[in-house]
Amino acid sequence: MLKITNLHVRVGEKPVLKGLNLEVAGGEVHAIMGPNGSGKSTLVQVLAGRDGYEVTEGSVEYRGRDLLALAPEERAREGVFLAFQYPVEIPGVNNVYLLKAGLNAIRKHRGQSELDAFDFLTLVREKMKLMQMDESFLNRGVNEGFSGGEKKRNEILQMAVLEPALALLDETDSGLDIDALRVVANGVNSLRSPERTIVMVTHYQRLLDYIEPDHVHVLSEGRILKSGDKSLALELEKRGYDWVKQEATAA
Amino acid sequence: MSAVAPKISALERYRAAFEARWPQSDPLTRLRRAALEEFIEQGFPTQRQEAWKYTNLRRLESRSFEPSTAPAAIDAAQEGWIAHGGARIVFVDGRWSAALSSSSVQPPGVTMLPLGQWFRRDPEQAAAFVESLAPKRSTAFERLNMAFFEDGAVIQLAEGARTDEPIYIVHHWSAQAAGRMAHPRLLLRAARGSRCTLIEQHLGPADLEYFTNAATIVELEAGAELRHYRLQQESTRSFHIGLSSARLQADSRYFLHDVALGASLARHDVAAVLEGRGAHVELQGLFAPEGSQHMDVHTHIDHAAPCTTSAEDYRGVADGRGRGIFNGKIAVHPDAQKTDARQSSRNLLLSPTAEIDARPELEIYANDVKCSHGATIGQLDETALFYLRSRALSQEQARALLIRAFAESVLTSIDHEPLRTYLEHRLEARFSASGENPS
Repeated sequence: MLKITNLHVRVGEKPVLKGLNLEVAGGEVHAIMGPNGSGKSTLVQVLAGRDGYEVTEGSVEYRGRDLLALAPEERAREGVFLAFQYPVEIPGVNNVYLLKAGLNAIRKHRGQSELDAFDFLTLVREKMKLMQMDESFLNRGVNEGFSGGEKKRNEILQMAVLEPALALLDETDSGLDIDALRVVANGVNSLRSPERTIVMVTHYQRLLDYIEPDHVHVLSEGRILKSGDKSLALELEKRGYDWVKQEATAA
Repeated sequence: MSAVAPKISALERYRAAFEARWPQSDPLTRLRRAALEEFIEQGFPTQRQEAWKYTNLRRLESRSFEPSTAPAAIDAAQEGWIAHGGARIVFVDGRWSAALSSSSVQPPGVTMLPLGQWFRRDPEQAAAFVESLAPKRSTAFERLNMAFFEDGAVIQLAEGARTDEPIYIVHHWSAQAAGRMAHPRLLLRAARGSRCTLIEQHLGPADLEYFTNAATIVELEAGAELRHYRLQQESTRSFHIGLSSARLQADSRYFLHDVALGASLARHDVAAVLEGRGAHVELQGLFAPEGSQHMDVHTHIDHAAPCTTSAEDYRGVADGRGRGIFNGKIAVHPDAQKTDARQSSRNLLLSPTAEIDARPELEIYANDVKCSHGATIGQLDETALFYLRSRALSQEQARALLIRAFAESVLTSIDHEPLRTYLEHRLEARFSASGENPS
């Protein structure tokens, strides 16, 4: 469902992704691991359509379409969702308003009718229970004054409501204590389905104890250097990243 | 088209208009004439004056506006008015409209009457009242208003009178307003412990060039409270000059909600003098120039007594080639110890050709005071825009939402529900339309 071919991306003058190849089949969970500065966040930002990243070469095919030609909102309506590493605080924009506007934009795009206020709230309440979120979240500004853990939970709540086909999780475990991590992982796991593909980017193996990936990739120096199953993550945890780099250089 | 020969200066045109309109010599006309002479002597303010540094009045000066002669024919509530069941005073082209104003019984302890009517009935008394309720600091345009006002409203609250339903004052320009000027004067005196809410609205049909020069002068006795909503929605070709002047006695409170969306050239002077211990003033403002609109807000708060407090929050949103100016002066007099003054000016530029100047001006002559001020000018937050778009909202939707959020504080502070709903819709329409035609 997602096919990235020879992707080169520059941020300003600096090349960050240098010929990245990755193929993800529908319904799978992939983890992309790598040292700091390897280009993990750049990859998911580019996939979500963030400005400021220049694709100089390569292509991204998503469900048979050229993903890079779409505006961020078109990608979202086509089922792409990015859970931010640093969710943005937007005082004055209501949480529930954003959820509703987003969901209805997606439904409209799919040719479905908009949800009325009652059905919408029923849906949101059910998802909030899953994320162990308090009712009061609904009427607060988007992420306004949320703790780190609350912000991450809110990201997964949005994911649960918007039901994406491709979810990109950017360092979703960062800044979470163990209890919050459990809630967040629980939320993500409950969203696993054959109709949903999850690509999570993480620095640590810890998250993978909770969300078990089908495939693990090592991203370093702008390319996928090695792919394997979840045992690769354990090996990385033990041995670090250097041996992968050396192996790649040797090859 | 000017009816006056082009060689005559703007000031002479005003003098001629004055002589034609007020040939008599009664106490009021003497007051008017004195004001006119002072205005003429000083002339229109120029950009050499600090208070007019950013606003050029040559365009206003070059026009020959005439006082309107007869009430214009509008006979029903107009689109753009706020749904309101309580007391309503309507002025059309600067003159009181009996037909459109409410004739219902006035709230107990509240006296409201049209200024023009009072002058016809009891000129001596009315003139004395007008003279007694002059702003502490006059301005060129207040003097011009004094010289030319045809009508206005007088509102007096008796001691302890309290009315929760707002008094709604509409200044509406008719389709015949082109080339006309009006100088409505609104005088409010609130006796001890009284309280009321005032909605002052200025509006006119699109594309008409006219000149409003409104003065609202308020006096609050000890413990009195006024909540003053001011909505400036004039035609985008018009000139609007406004003054909101308030004097506050001990423990009185003045809340001004100042929203400016209209006019080609708008200037609003807010002057509050805290004369009594414990007096409190709060200003919440929003100005949103777009197209080639020019909006200038000057606020001046005088802390002239101890333990007085002020809080000021102005937001500017400029789009297109819009130009905004916020100048906020706070003066703390030597004996005004324990003053607490807070000022914040936040501004948003939506286009590369929009411009806003924000200038706090503090003059503090007391030593035991708390004064804070902050001014910011920025653009829409790109990260927030991307965040919203990544949640499937269109760029226009995301943009409108962020602008609305920026202006939100002025809405949340409105506790009169029909007015809040009204403004919500206006702002939504305004900001969702902005940016759709990037030039």
